[in-house]
Amino acid sequence: MENATPSPAGNGSWSPRIIAFFCNWCTYTAADLAGVSRLKYAANTRTIRLMCSGRVDPQFILEAFAKGADGVLIGGCHPNDCHYAEGNYKMLRRFQLLKRMLKDLGIAEERLRLEWISAAEGEKVKSVINDMVKKITALGPLDLPGKFADWDREMTALAHAVESAPVEKEVAHA
Amino acid sequence: MVVMLEPELEQKDSTLETLLQTPDGKRILTCIQCGTCAGTCPYGEYMDFPPRRIINMLRRGRIEEVFKSDSMLLCVACYACMTKCPRGIRLSDVLLPLVKEQTLVNHPTLPAELQKTLQNILRYGNPMGESSRKRVAWKTTAPVPVPVMAEIKRPVDVLWFVECYTSYYARGQDNSRATAKLLHALGIDFAILGNEEKCAGDCGQLTWESGLFETLTDFNMEIFKKYRFNRIITGDAHAYNAFRIRYPMYGFNYRIDHTHMLLAEKLDQLRPKLTKKLNYTVTYHDSCCLGRRAGMYDEPRALLRAIPGVKLVDMVHNRANSICCGGGGGGMWLDTFFKEKGMERLSERRVKEAIATGADVLAVSCPYEIFRFEDALKVIPHDKPMIVRDVTELLAESLGD
Amino acid sequence: MYTPKKHEPVRIGFYVCHCGTNIAGMVDVQALARYVATLPNVVVSRDYKYMCSDPGQEMIVQDIIENRLNRIVVAACSPLLHEHTFREATRRGGLNPFFFQMVNIREHDSWVHTDRQLATRKAMALARAAIQRVPLHKPLEVKKVSINPNVLVVGGGIAGIHAALVLANAGKQVYLVERDPTIGGHMAKFDKTFPTLDCAMCVLSPKMAAAGSHPNITLWSYSEVVKVDGYVGNFKVTVRRKPRYVLEDLCTGCQECVEACIYKEPKFRDEFNLGLSKRKPVFLPFPQAIPPVVLIDPETCIELKTGKCKKTCVEACGDRKAIDFKQKEELREITVGTIIVATGFQIFDAKRTPYYGYGIYPNVYNALEVERLVNASGPTGGEIILRNGQVPKKVAIIHCVGSRDENSNRWCSRVCCLYSLKLAHLIHEHTQAEIYNFYIDIRTPGKSMEEFYCRIAEEGINLIRGRVADVYPDPSDGATGRLIVQAEDTMLDCIMKVPVDMVVLSVGLEPHSDTEKIRRLFNMSCSSEGWFLERHPKLAPVSTFTDGIFLAGCCQGPKDIPDSVAQAGAAAAEAFSLIDKGNIEQEPNTAFVVEAECSGCKSCIPLCPYTAISLLPDKKKAYINEALCKGCGTCVAACPSGSIVQNLFEDAEIFNEIEGLLAPTSF
Repeated sequence: MENATPSPAGNGSWSPRIIAFFCNWCTYTAADLAGVSRLKYAANTRTIRLMCSGRVDPQFILEAFAKGADGVLIGGCHPNDCHYAEGNYKMLRRFQLLKRMLKDLGIAEERLRLEWISAAEGEKVKSVINDMVKKITALGPLDLPGKFADWDREMTALAHAVESAPVEKEVAHA
Repeated sequence: MVVMLEPELEQKDSTLETLLQTPDGKRILTCIQCGTCAGTCPYGEYMDFPPRRIINMLRRGRIEEVFKSDSMLLCVACYACMTKCPRGIRLSDVLLPLVKEQTLVNHPTLPAELQKTLQNILRYGNPMGESSRKRVAWKTTAPVPVPVMAEIKRPVDVLWFVECYTSYYARGQDNSRATAKLLHALGIDFAILGNEEKCAGDCGQLTWESGLFETLTDFNMEIFKKYRFNRIITGDAHAYNAFRIRYPMYGFNYRIDHTHMLLAEKLDQLRPKLTKKLNYTVTYHDSCCLGRRAGMYDEPRALLRAIPGVKLVDMVHNRANSICCGGGGGGMWLDTFFKEKGMERLSERRVKEAIATGADVLAVSCPYEIFRFEDALKVIPHDKPMIVRDVTELLAESLGD
Repeated sequence: MYTPKKHEPVRIGFYVCHCGTNIAGMVDVQALARYVATLPNVVVSRDYKYMCSDPGQEMIVQDIIENRLNRIVVAACSPLLHEHTFREATRRGGLNPFFFQMVNIREHDSWVHTDRQLATRKAMALARAAIQRVPLHKPLEVKKVSINPNVLVVGGGIAGIHAALVLANAGKQVYLVERDPTIGGHMAKFDKTFPTLDCAMCVLSPKMAAAGSHPNITLWSYSEVVKVDGYVGNFKVTVRRKPRYVLEDLCTGCQECVEACIYKEPKFRDEFNLGLSKRKPVFLPFPQAIPPVVLIDPETCIELKTGKCKKTCVEACGDRKAIDFKQKEELREITVGTIIVATGFQIFDAKRTPYYGYGIYPNVYNALEVERLVNASGPTGGEIILRNGQVPKKVAIIHCVGSRDENSNRWCSRVCCLYSLKLAHLIHEHTQAEIYNFYIDIRTPGKSMEEFYCRIAEEGINLIRGRVADVYPDPSDGATGRLIVQAEDTMLDCIMKVPVDMVVLSVGLEPHSDTEKIRRLFNMSCSSEGWFLERHPKLAPVSTFTDGIFLAGCCQGPKDIPDSVAQAGAAAAEAFSLIDKGNIEQEPNTAFVVEAECSGCKSCIPLCPYTAISLLPDKKKAYINEALCKGCGTCVAACPSGSIVQNLFEDAEIFNEIEGLLAPTSF
């Protein structure tokens, strides 16, 4: 069934962790509405409330990935509906730049998502979250903290190797 | 306007037992028993169990009683109930075929005419029981060359699926000859499947014979896979219906259009070629599969308006509210059965409305309708002569020579 | 007020609410409390049945005092619901109210998940984020902004009129803006009202007149709001006043000009009577119109179209000199503190259900047209005369046209059952015709409504349970315009084909087709159907998500006259409560610049939609005017040197939240 709630992992098996930044006026309220309407969706998101999607600093997103998030979802008001006139446009601009950067970092596009969800769209909160969980589950863990640790180990080993190895003759440039 | 329901694809494996658990079945649970389905059903007054009561029996766990009645034999799969249902319940697509299937299983005898037809389709690949080797015979009478895929051995732009009535019966072949002439005039690169083609099986499907339908589907799908082409057209509204709604479940993902859609698409090129003035008042009958089921109300009318001299008038029941010719869902082969039950033939009900418009021509878009309406006109008295023509035939006539 | 000293250790009190079983049923609240107790800085961690109750709040107050708490975290419902409650409790305990953080484990957790273990783990993560965040909270002061006491009411139907009168009677200055040339709305078109069957105009016209002459009401009819700027307490509103080519203060409403118009006979579609009668180019919409001022339609007036009329109207007006063909549209700017939106509804266009034949068969009418036909001041003087000049002997009334239908509008329009019964009574009373009401369900909730249903049933109306499937001309009797109404009588299991002379379509209510435009104008939200969205369906039914803007009447959803009036009163009271207080408190979530770190790059300046940021010319540093800042935080996110800080949403606070949410045990 298309609307089935992706089952978050039970004990032991992996399930994605998604950090959601929701604007106070539209998407956070929509998520409240989803609750009031008792819609059911995957338990993989953790929401941080901000006044406006324009407040989302790219550093928040990078920090979330660095601290172990498998995905980041940003929810704002629809174009022209921003409570603060145009904060959502500012977010959109940053989002597009950030997307390119994440690509260069080898972070799959589906892991960062920007959605316009109005206060009336509780149903959309559910479908977006379920869809995102499904897609990220398919991608598998991002595990940047693990990768950082690997890199650190590699660097340490490399540094160690450099220190302990006899100095080799420099290769002449052609 | 009545909004067309999304042409959602069906679940292949829905059964009555599991139906109420599916998304479509859940919609059945929302039925408010308003009776719009029964009220709009052309044979609603003859049914012990019109759709509304079927739903209620299903919800109350008493559906078995419905199978004992012959109500579902009266369903002509006209999509009227589904189009008007205020709850958007997909009656003609999902519920009714399942009930029909069970009705058949539970019925001791099947009307002979229908039984024979189903056998013919299985054995010969066409309802009339003609030899499959004669399918392409009409080609020699066509005014222009009609290429056959197996002979030309090259990809084409348009694969034209001719279908049975338009291949075997003289009055049906008129439509095919007209189609060939128009495609030729428009310089369209087309070919047909010739003797390789078999009935698309829409009515087999809607006549509760899903096994038969699958046999035909498998066969035709294999043939399609042999050739390369960009799109498929067919002049048969039922074949169009089958390809659009049912075949995708079996892997069909070609672009499919009714001939009238292709012609409407090329209307700018076609219009200057329509030089011969036809001084007819024409009334157009919206076929169920093109109209209600596919929302194609404007294209055939646009084509008719493009013919110089044609004056278009509408019948009382038109577009979404059109009345079925009575040929769908197996009705084509149940006339005797209906007559025995003392029921009015729907084709007769329909031509009365056509006659009331004062039109000279009753224009149609489905090959069944030619036969049904020409028959009906033989028994319904009318002062002014009336002829039945497919829109394609009228266009070809206006093309001149 | 107690404020923790800088180096005083952080002492957090954590409280998780059961909300009966709303939270406790899906989240293991005891486990959550035990878990939070293990987190750093947490001194007290408790669970309680209803944290928002008095004992719940008192527990916080007492704990602050007894355990010297200096930070409070409550995990309960949405902060949009109870953040204020718990900030107050925090304040009562002697702390700055902003040493508080709320965790939403109801709307965002227990209500939307089905696995208790996962829901509990999510609650733990959310709680941990708050526990990590709250030590960074700073004491903040609430900003107070004064409120302009003037009110704008948009829409002059019964809801708008009532709201305007309530406020005007309380001595407030009200601007009542109406799009049409007269106020009165739909109610002015009705004949009688259910369930009392009293005359609509008899009830309405005194209120219209009162609104028209009230010294505190500035009535601008034939006008539209075109722009709304500013915020609660201080909205700047631009209103376009369309030219009526008649000077309102000079016109006496004598209508001598109408009499004298060069068109001897009315020739043009009369909108008020829905085209069932004709009017002249100069006209008064209806006798009781307010303002009682004529207007000239530029589309049909010869002078306005060609400039070549004899202008007999001007002659008739004489010394009054009220006619002004040179009148131009005007833009007026006003300042108000609050706005009440009462823009109403439109009726469903029955052509969208084509099988009922509206617009095709002349004897098919919509219910509003029938209201005009039975009205004594209507186009036929109260006689029900069909377009073919006959009086109907058999009439079908079809319920639920454009309601409860997936193909048009899904909702129940709430008033149609009752008005259909009313029309059945009225048509029968006027014509003695046999009446057939075709319904799906009869819905008559509300005071005296069921009694009304019984009364009409006793009158011998044929109530047939079945939705009409088809309306078509009687084939046996084509010339008279008689129609066949076909439906299943679902109680009898038979198909009925009832020949009738007249078909009445009980059309539903739907949002105006330009609802989207109005919504944008006032920065409101719409439900998916297009009705304006109230802030909370139960607890804030007339508020919107924009502070200071309230809703009244059918623009929020279909309702009858008593409910519209009640809601208008509520909206007026909400506006009044803001005005009477004189000022509003604003979240102290504004941004400020840390001068030492600002490089003066000016990136932030163009980002601010409120022009709150400027460059201090002497220091070459950015400066944020706190009075103008609305607290969106866009500049904060964009500042390259990180020198802008937003109160309540500081970078460090958010980073701590992220860390808390993602700490290893969190999932």
